[in-house]
Amino acid sequence: MSEPIGAKGGGLAAWALAIRRDRRGLAGACLLGAFVLTAVAGPALVGDPTAPVGIPLQPPSWAHPLGTSGQGQDVLAQLVVGTRVSLSLGFAVGFAAVLLGALVGVPAGYFGGRVDGLLSIASNVFLVLPGLPLAIVIAAYLPPSPATVAAVLVVTGWAWNARVVRSQTLALRRRDFVSAAIVAGESDGRILMVEILPNMLSILVTQVIGSTVYAIGAQVGLEFLGLGDVSRVSWGTILYWAQNDSALLTGAWWTFVPAGLCVALVGFALTLLNSGFDEITNPRLGLERAWRAHLARRGRSPGRSTPVARDHA
Amino acid sequence: MRYLIRRLGFYALAAWAAVTLNFFLPRLMPGDPATALFARFKGKLSPESIDALRAAFGLTRAPLWRQYLTYLAHLVRGELGVSIAYFPSPVSRVIGSALGWTLFVAGTAVVVSFAIGTLLGIASAWWRRGALDRWLPSSLVFVGSFPFFWLAMAALYVLGFGLRWFPLGHAYSDDATPGWTLAFALDVLRHAALPIATVVLATLGGWLLSMRNTMISVLGSDFVTLARAKGLSPARVVLRYAARNALLPSVTGFGMALGFVLGGSLLTEIVFSYPGQGYLLVQAVRNQDYPLMQGIFLVITLAVLGANWLVDVAILWLDPRTRDSAT
Amino acid sequence: MPEPLLSIRGLCVDYVTESGPVRAVDALSLDVARGEVLGIAGESGSGKTTLAQALLRTLPPPAVISDGEVRFEGRDLLALTERELRELRWQRIAMVFQSAMDALNPVITVGEQIEDAIRAHAPVPRADARRRAGELLERVGIAADRLDAYSHQLSGGMRQRVGIALALALEPALVILDEPTTALDVIVEREILQQIRALQATLGFAVMFITHDLARMLQFSDRVAVFYAARLVEVGPAAAIARAPRHPYTQGLLRAFPRLHGARTEGVSIPGAPPSLANPPAGCRFHPRCPLAVPACRERAPELHEVAPGHLAACPLTR
Repeated sequence: MSEPIGAKGGGLAAWALAIRRDRRGLAGACLLGAFVLTAVAGPALVGDPTAPVGIPLQPPSWAHPLGTSGQGQDVLAQLVVGTRVSLSLGFAVGFAAVLLGALVGVPAGYFGGRVDGLLSIASNVFLVLPGLPLAIVIAAYLPPSPATVAAVLVVTGWAWNARVVRSQTLALRRRDFVSAAIVAGESDGRILMVEILPNMLSILVTQVIGSTVYAIGAQVGLEFLGLGDVSRVSWGTILYWAQNDSALLTGAWWTFVPAGLCVALVGFALTLLNSGFDEITNPRLGLERAWRAHLARRGRSPGRSTPVARDHA
Repeated sequence: MRYLIRRLGFYALAAWAAVTLNFFLPRLMPGDPATALFARFKGKLSPESIDALRAAFGLTRAPLWRQYLTYLAHLVRGELGVSIAYFPSPVSRVIGSALGWTLFVAGTAVVVSFAIGTLLGIASAWWRRGALDRWLPSSLVFVGSFPFFWLAMAALYVLGFGLRWFPLGHAYSDDATPGWTLAFALDVLRHAALPIATVVLATLGGWLLSMRNTMISVLGSDFVTLARAKGLSPARVVLRYAARNALLPSVTGFGMALGFVLGGSLLTEIVFSYPGQGYLLVQAVRNQDYPLMQGIFLVITLAVLGANWLVDVAILWLDPRTRDSAT
Repeated sequence: MPEPLLSIRGLCVDYVTESGPVRAVDALSLDVARGEVLGIAGESGSGKTTLAQALLRTLPPPAVISDGEVRFEGRDLLALTERELRELRWQRIAMVFQSAMDALNPVITVGEQIEDAIRAHAPVPRADARRRAGELLERVGIAADRLDAYSHQLSGGMRQRVGIALALALEPALVILDEPTTALDVIVEREILQQIRALQATLGFAVMFITHDLARMLQFSDRVAVFYAARLVEVGPAAAIARAPRHPYTQGLLRAFPRLHGARTEGVSIPGAPPSLANPPAGCRFHPRCPLAVPACRERAPELHEVAPGHLAACPLTR
């Protein structure tokens, strides 16, 4: 992920505009919307995912569009109910990780000096310690539950956000309008609330999206290992049971393919949403669209040197 | 040089943090840590054995700071305690046998993935809007959105179970004799192919995108414009001027992602029943084998820290600006 | 009259934005004679740097050359193929960038960058190229042992000198200096300009000297061209322009610099700000800020006309 350059329009408006303009961002938003809808309305429309409804490991049929699991449960029902669990946990962790990251990153970037030194070392240590082993070691001592998974993911995921938020705060702090506010005698709190944070909103949104992607993936990983509550239905536990019931070796692809596909689609959708923003912080990425069209209209193709494209033939 | 020493100091600090975390975790949980650790042994071992185990884990009645020092002393000697799942094997021996396989798969995958991803990223940035740039980055990012272990499952299912091109698990065939022979090496490679390929595929998109975006930035800088103005050949401009500079942030990012990639690699091993740390980890979790879990955590952490330090050395070599003063 | 080295006719350079093309150089016609120093003055955003890079055709997207002819040593630069351009670059036309800090590759040595330029155009063996690079550095006053230095190890002044050495590596016929001294302090600036002048006397190359510092340019150049809002508004011998500028903008620029000798005067800046090139004023682009403006100025853009031999100005009102 590239470090963000100080965005000219750092507010939410710029971000929303980017999403609307960029086809990819729009596609991502729609895909995400579909999943959110499923999470909200879906569980009411399907049956109990934990009830055995048929012979185990049946391939997809009209009665059970995604087949049955190793315990004879309806895979589709599991998937839909799991969507709510996995998405809500993912977003919750995403927000929390960015919140914690901001609580560390903003003071570090704003106050500098010893505060920065201490906070930066702390976040760098957490950044370099490998996430999954750390998560496992902590989660293993705690009771298996979504709260454990969430806590552990926040602990392993906040450091990256702290780093990004710190560098953004640093960049903003150096800008003229902040210096002017300092000289005018505004209090630190007011400066942070009024000058700095509003300009960081779009970066924070990007970070939440990125952290959510991480959270969903890591959550599924921990549950796959059996560290979540395996009696709850979520995408991760679906995969845990699939592996446990040796789905692969019995050819029961429908027990693991849908869950993984969901994780990938949601992750991809969120990434697409973020890529629209990429084009704002790195304007060079999007700049050339109009230029190429201009050249094409005059029958010229872009080469390495400045092209010559006259209006009249 | 001062730079490397400073980095080493930082890694030592991180290692200390990990070690200290390991020490405090069992003691922070409610109840007697010994109970947590030895829960599974109730009724299986004699009281003397349990006392011996206590001593081995440093859970004596001594004051906390003395326990801590004992613990550190043990660590320095390489004693990580005794495994519960593999009782009475010491943790260090259990881990040791598996470490090699993990490093082999993860190490190879990471190097191959970074190399290919970086080259593709350069090509993608240079020939923008070409067929390569239009489809490859997005497709690889999509593939990378799948959990590593899911890709492993899919690969195993299609290529191992379905097409039978690759073996279904383990590091080498059951009937093969380990040794430094070509036949054995090939067997090992055949078994390692899918795990390595899975990790490569899962991470390729990330390296590609990062290199591509950095390249696009660098291609717009003044010194690249000057290089073009000097009439240098496109190959020279791309490689010696643009890529050489774009590599720096990419390599830095590589270091930061190592821990993450290693984690995913561990989960991949589980799917392939590959005898590495991942497999041990699952056993440890299943059996509540805390000493083994913590041992794996420490060993993996040290490996990642070591690899990060190597990356720092690489940066020193690549970027002349870091060679002078500590700025 | 010998054929000019560079002859620009009706050059138009646009930047294509989402809201349409913005013209940064508008129908420019200008000549540069062999061995002369032509100064190009104007505020930032007036199109000066665009012109420099347009000649070498190294303007990045979204720049487009929309019209005109640029004859250099008898060839039209706008009609050359990529390969021909690459040959011509640096051998015949070279450029010194504005901030040499960013224009030098940070990860290879300064010597290697000079050698790259030398060896890109002829199969010169490494040792010879290195020797020549050393000579070039000495020529601009840098010890040859600095060949193995990296750009971050050199001071700003030295980096600029490296830029000059680089530009002269293949003894081109035209050297473009784009704000070569903006990032330097006044003393170093003077030294460098004197060095360039000395080298020019020996090697005989023409210089296009782009800067916003009109006073410095008048001291240093033979002829001066003044740009305003993408258009050429005045061109002529430096001495003539210094003594009697004929365009209100040039007059305003000169008035803005306080005199060093003679009676004490105060600098008078030109009121207002340079116009946006996306939406320039109608007619004469300077009229909103011009003390002599009359209603006719808004209706028709004045053409350049000769006010004295070799001196042209685009204002019908000054006498």
